[in-house]
Amino acid sequence: MFKKSAFMFGYSPKTVELANELSDEILHLFIVVESKDAYNKAIADGYSSVTLLDVTDDTKLESLNVAEEDYLICVMDDHYLNVFLTLSLHALYPKATIVALSDSPHTTQKLKMAGATRIIDLYQVSANRIHNILNKPVTTQLIERLFSADEDFSFKEMVIPQKSKLDGVMVDNFDFSQHGVILLGMIDNRLSNKFIFITSGLENRFDVGDTLVCIGYNKDLEKFKDYISS
Amino acid sequence: MLINLITKFAFFLNGSKKYKQFKYIASNFLKESDYPYKKYFDIFMILLIVISIAILVYEVKHPVADWVDFFDIYIVTVIFTIEYLARAWVHNDWHVMVVREYTECQFLKRNFLLWKPTKLVLKEKLTYLTTPTAIIDLLAILPAYRPLRVLRIFVLFRVFKLLRYTKSIHQFLNVLATKKFELFTLLFLLVFITVTAGIAIYVFEAKQNDNIDTLFDALYWALITISTVGYGDISPVTIEGRVVSMLIIVTGIAMISFVTSVIVSSFSEKLTELKENRIVEEMNKQDSFMIICGYGQMTRMFLKHYAKEYDKSYIIIEKDKEQVEVAIKEGYSAIHEDPTRHDVITKFNTDYSNITLLALTGSDVANVYITLNAKAISKNIRVITRASSQSIAKKSRLAGADSVVMPNLIANRMLFTAITQPVMYRAIYAVLTGEHLAQLDEVDLKYHQKLVGKTIREIDVRQHKLLCIGVHASCSNRFIFNAPLEYQLEKEDVLLLMGRQVSINHFKEINEEVSYV
Repeated sequence: MFKKSAFMFGYSPKTVELANELSDEILHLFIVVESKDAYNKAIADGYSSVTLLDVTDDTKLESLNVAEEDYLICVMDDHYLNVFLTLSLHALYPKATIVALSDSPHTTQKLKMAGATRIIDLYQVSANRIHNILNKPVTTQLIERLFSADEDFSFKEMVIPQKSKLDGVMVDNFDFSQHGVILLGMIDNRLSNKFIFITSGLENRFDVGDTLVCIGYNKDLEKFKDYISS
Repeated sequence: MLINLITKFAFFLNGSKKYKQFKYIASNFLKESDYPYKKYFDIFMILLIVISIAILVYEVKHPVADWVDFFDIYIVTVIFTIEYLARAWVHNDWHVMVVREYTECQFLKRNFLLWKPTKLVLKEKLTYLTTPTAIIDLLAILPAYRPLRVLRIFVLFRVFKLLRYTKSIHQFLNVLATKKFELFTLLFLLVFITVTAGIAIYVFEAKQNDNIDTLFDALYWALITISTVGYGDISPVTIEGRVVSMLIIVTGIAMISFVTSVIVSSFSEKLTELKENRIVEEMNKQDSFMIICGYGQMTRMFLKHYAKEYDKSYIIIEKDKEQVEVAIKEGYSAIHEDPTRHDVITKFNTDYSNITLLALTGSDVANVYITLNAKAISKNIRVITRASSQSIAKKSRLAGADSVVMPNLIANRMLFTAITQPVMYRAIYAVLTGEHLAQLDEVDLKYHQKLVGKTIREIDVRQHKLLCIGVHASCSNRFIFNAPLEYQLEKEDVLLLMGRQVSINHFKEINEEVSYV
């Protein structure tokens, strides 16, 4: 279970699945909606923490009691409102992480300016997927497997704990393949808090607290996580 | 006995694959404008026509060598005759009619009469032979009959044959055909005024004017005057004649303006259609191309990133005229049509080209319908469709879609990852958006034969700052994730690598080798 709360602004057929997945994974999911229909739909879908309010009103947004470490998810259907809401939330909670959904490069740019921490452009990802289907059938298969709920194959991030076998080992000297996983990249705390791809050519060393992102079969990923923790 | 033999021959033709294939190819060469090799045949025929006309013009004042005459009379004419007969031959199938009639007779236990299907076939062929184009074809052959020198002028009919091979002339005539009523009305008016003015000038001037002897002279003068050409060889000498001249000159100017405006308006009305037909024709000349249905955000995004990669091998079909204009303004080739219409997709060369159709309209219902339409036209059309939910995706697959893209599903997965596993999000984002520093790319060993036979250890992708995610093994047709170091690559395997685009391109470049065996 993820130990944070999230406020999801907007509830539509587009985001029903997201709400469903999040409610299983995070500590508490608050759904904030603007219309009575969306409110009724969320309640009918079994969510108890649903608030109906005018998201353009800052005083009402303040009353939500958002903590610094909470996530704010802006997925309103109206992209004008979504940008405005992002701006309002960023002004009210400058340290909170704001994740927003965009539907065009222009909106993405505006959301970025409004203070969104992460922006997902609905169509950019889809366009890339079409390109992959057309030109990279093997890549398409792999991505489908990674995102299919039925497959036992995925990405996983793991933090190197104290007294880990990896502590102090150079990245090039460690053979991940014998564990059945592939290291895609990491956050090397010594250098910065930026994610570095393993293919970037930098010589990194594993240290306690570094975060690794690996890809592999779930069972191998779990075994590997146990291995670095043991 | 003879009827039996002919019937057997019809059955033989009906069962002969070689004969059918031969006729199919001949028909494609003669009739199918989408057939990729037809253009070569057309060019050849145009060349023959041009040579034939050039000989006609040259020999008016110069003697020509015997071999040139031989070429013109026999070679060109024989080719034209073969073409004329071949067109009549491919027009319909005699053997099919005979077989059908015979089978029906057997079924209904009635007497089989060979003349019945033969008569039908001949009637159809005769109908074809009396069409203007077939008559032109026939007249173009006549100049070969030397005893009648006057027939030489029929060489000019060979020029008309160009209509068959040049689309622009054909299109011009088609456009004029749409204004048939207006043009015929004007022609009738022209004839009426010319005849009236001709008679009038004949009555007024036949006795006074030395240049007007007959009614023909008067009619000739009227036509030359009304057309505003005015050679001046015949001119009125009486007051009455001059008044008639003034009247028909004014009428002539008005009529010419009217004809011009009719032709111009018909062209401006058809201009968009002509342009769009030309785009479709250009597309059909390609071996493989992409039809993108809908010009919404997804199409925009797709083309923004990949239009250069697909060069000119795509066409957008959009039913909103304003969107079409936007697409054209943004530099993409687009036509204004409703992609859900069956006849819109049939415009494309579904028989000879590899077509990929992207159903990316904003409506799920339209996308499913487009998918069904495309698959109904040809199973070979590869369809990638957009769906907003799992249930629509299921319906799209049932409709025959080869791949389904669900923007919401992918976006939700990314939003979820961004919240629950923010570090991993960076990796996923890069993989899904194809960022240059973490491109996932495929190395097809068909085109990189230098890698065949080597093991994963030997190719050592790490020295190229690449990551080998796995291999799609051709022998087992499955993807081997994290392929073992001792795995030996085979000639149809596909290597899946991750890394900077520049590293991948370099790796591909040094291992590029195509086997043509």
